[in-house]
Amino acid sequence: MAKLEAVIGRYCYLTVDGVEYRVYFEENGRGIPLLCQHTAGSDGRQWRHLLNDPEVTSKYRVIVPDLPYHGKSLPPQSVDWWKAEYKLTKSFFIDFLVELKHCLELKRPAFIGCSMGGNLALDLALERPDEFKAVIGLEGADYTPGLDIIWFNHPRISGEFKFANLYESTAPAGPENNRREIGWVYSQSAPPVFRGDLYYYSREHNLTGQLGRIDTSRIPVYLLCGEYDFASTPEMCRRTASQIKGAKYTLMEGLGHFPVAENYQLFKRYLMPVLNEIANMR
Amino acid sequence: MKICFLKPRKLKLIPGKVNDDPEFKLSARYMTRNVLLSAGESQCIFKICDGQVSELVLNPSPMEPWDFFIKAPEKSWEIFLQPLPPPFYHSLFGASIREDFQFGGNIEAMFAHYWALQRMLSILRQIQNE
Amino acid sequence: MTVAFLDPLKIGRLRQSINQDAEFKLAARYMSEDVLFEVDKARSIVRVRNGEISEIKIGPSPDESWSFGISAPAASWEKLLQQIPPPFFTGLNAAMMRRHLQITGNLELAFAYLWALNRILDIMKQPGNE
Repeated sequence: MAKLEAVIGRYCYLTVDGVEYRVYFEENGRGIPLLCQHTAGSDGRQWRHLLNDPEVTSKYRVIVPDLPYHGKSLPPQSVDWWKAEYKLTKSFFIDFLVELKHCLELKRPAFIGCSMGGNLALDLALERPDEFKAVIGLEGADYTPGLDIIWFNHPRISGEFKFANLYESTAPAGPENNRREIGWVYSQSAPPVFRGDLYYYSREHNLTGQLGRIDTSRIPVYLLCGEYDFASTPEMCRRTASQIKGAKYTLMEGLGHFPVAENYQLFKRYLMPVLNEIANMR
Repeated sequence: MKICFLKPRKLKLIPGKVNDDPEFKLSARYMTRNVLLSAGESQCIFKICDGQVSELVLNPSPMEPWDFFIKAPEKSWEIFLQPLPPPFYHSLFGASIREDFQFGGNIEAMFAHYWALQRMLSILRQIQNE
Repeated sequence: MTVAFLDPLKIGRLRQSINQDAEFKLAARYMSEDVLFEVDKARSIVRVRNGEISEIKIGPSPDESWSFGISAPAASWEKLLQQIPPPFFTGLNAAMMRRHLQITGNLELAFAYLWALNRILDIMKQPGNE
């Protein structure tokens, strides 16, 4: 008898700015839709532990897309992407997630994103507060400059640099296999993708002075940050939360920049109170 | 507590431990570079040749060549080399962005061989705490 | 057939075509190298500076340096530059694997920039550059 997971993967087609994308997504569970956004330069594989957690999937329909150009969501057929610099823009990022929500007919989903996904949680709360039931931002902040370094996309530097660099972004005492797995996935992404995503993360995304406009009575905001995260530090995250009336901030001790993937069992202790609270919302 | 790469007695242990390490062997393939580690006023050049540590030069003369350096106060190296370092000393990259570690010189070479460098520093951490 | 990088009447246009090409711009980012092209005994050095061709020098003197070279007989170049090349001439790596061409000098760099080099071949097949 084969050992199978309940996670199912399939493709859907959606259009953003006149370009059709063939989008790969995985899902498992029943209940409130939970749309999960992966980090820059990675893909939905990060969410594999959450997708397989019955404590979550008994209440939530967990949906994990690969953003175009990532994982199994290949570049679009209608674009000569090899002639243009890949850059993730804020408008595309927001439009894509909202379009996916409509495409899959998700009714008031919750959103959870990490790193660039954590930053996006704030952008969604500000610009599309009525599309989501709540947003959970992991390792995000109002402004996270300076990380789109050229060495992440350089002809003379291999994917091994990403393997080593992103492994280091995890907390040192976590399960070694999981930490290495994160580096492995990063080393597999197409050369321009990580730095291209960081264009949104470090350049376009800047909510300095605008956080006061987020209305948590319309869209609850939860921000969580790993103690070891040097990209978006706990101080940056806490400071961001303090400027959003009604936002809830949690410091995750013993975790780094990839809480969902590097040590899910530890991360779960911080996540479940948030998911339970959202599940109990009207 | 003195940094292991500044103590002659511990320095002798380094090439053997690093060169025998399977992960270092993999990650340092094709690496021929001289790496300067600087702790306060003291320095040590790690000469890596064809993926093996061939020589360590404690307090080299200014004429000794190196490809890139990693520099921090001695106290910061002590923190970095703790068995379980605190945030953000668990990562060379993190410690340079958020703390007082610096690197420079041929950064391209450093990043090309970052995995090997990272592994070597992990082994130094082990030696430091033996 | 005179290959464009050896034809004084064609090198200006070739240089312009390459520098205006969107794909070459991407592929040659951060590239600053001198590339030797050889057709039998005839030679040209293509100087790339920060991802742009700054000069194509036909018949360089023997003491002019270059980082890596692409060397093949005229018959191989003719096949490489066909609109639909025959098998094993679809790109530099293929032709090299089958011994129709040699890449000399710094192979590490040549391979780091393989995309850019193959794009130059594509541009040489465009009308006006053949």
